[in-house]
Amino acid sequence: MRPGSALLDALQASSFGAAMRDSIWLYPVVETVHIIGFSILVGAVIMFDLRVLGVSKRVPVRMLAHHLLPWSAAALLLIVPAGFLMFSADATSLISNRAFLIKMVLLLLAATNAATFHMGAIREVEQWDQGTTAPASARLHAAASLLIWLGVITCGRMIAYV
Amino acid sequence: MTKSTALALLALLLIAAPAAAHHGWSSYDSNNAITLTGTITEASYTYPHGTIMLETPGKIWLAVLAPPSRMSARGLPSSDLTVGAKATVEGYASRQDPNEMRAERITVHGRTIELR
Repeated sequence: MRPGSALLDALQASSFGAAMRDSIWLYPVVETVHIIGFSILVGAVIMFDLRVLGVSKRVPVRMLAHHLLPWSAAALLLIVPAGFLMFSADATSLISNRAFLIKMVLLLLAATNAATFHMGAIREVEQWDQGTTAPASARLHAAASLLIWLGVITCGRMIAYV
Repeated sequence: MTKSTALALLALLLIAAPAAAHHGWSSYDSNNAITLTGTITEASYTYPHGTIMLETPGKIWLAVLAPPSRMSARGLPSSDLTVGAKATVEGYASRQDPNEMRAERITVHGRTIELR
């Protein structure tokens, strides 16, 4: 028996887990909400990363960040509960799904990458806000973010096929 | 996060994960189609995919079907997956679980329903 399996059993046996499995329309609706949410989040992230990497340098980085961050945060309010509900429908087999596990590690990496970017490279953004090349450390964060998020989407899609 | 921490995490995952890949797509042997006929002993009409337990001579199979919305749209309502009914499934055996198969189509109550 693997650690935490009692918790997974309880989650899967919960009323919402059962509703996700049994309702003819709930699962596809929740899945659609998850996709709408992450298209906003990952879209915003990729547009920001491309800007930091040097695309459209006349767009001020700070203004772009202020525009995109609230949308990204709001999108998380759709993505996370929807993802949790889908997980609850099939928790005990998802926990040993390789694509799901890699996706979770990539999400952890994405969060860590974003956090270190916000604590480090973005601090001196006024020096590279507009019209100049971002410092190497900022570009490295952006490139990593881009690749990690593409990996998250790929792994998410692969959950059904591995 | 340092590069080495990230690599260590990934390595850990790749070692730990193959232990129990389950219900996958590539994990079914699509080179060898099998046909099984038996009696339905259990049926679930649930997301992400329905399943039946099919009792055949000498073995009880777990046959993985399709999402309920698709089965319903193709004309296989939950009321057709009757416990005790005779059913035939065509599909592919799991490479990992000798008692599991993924059904491409199912014949029950005299009607054949495509599941893919």
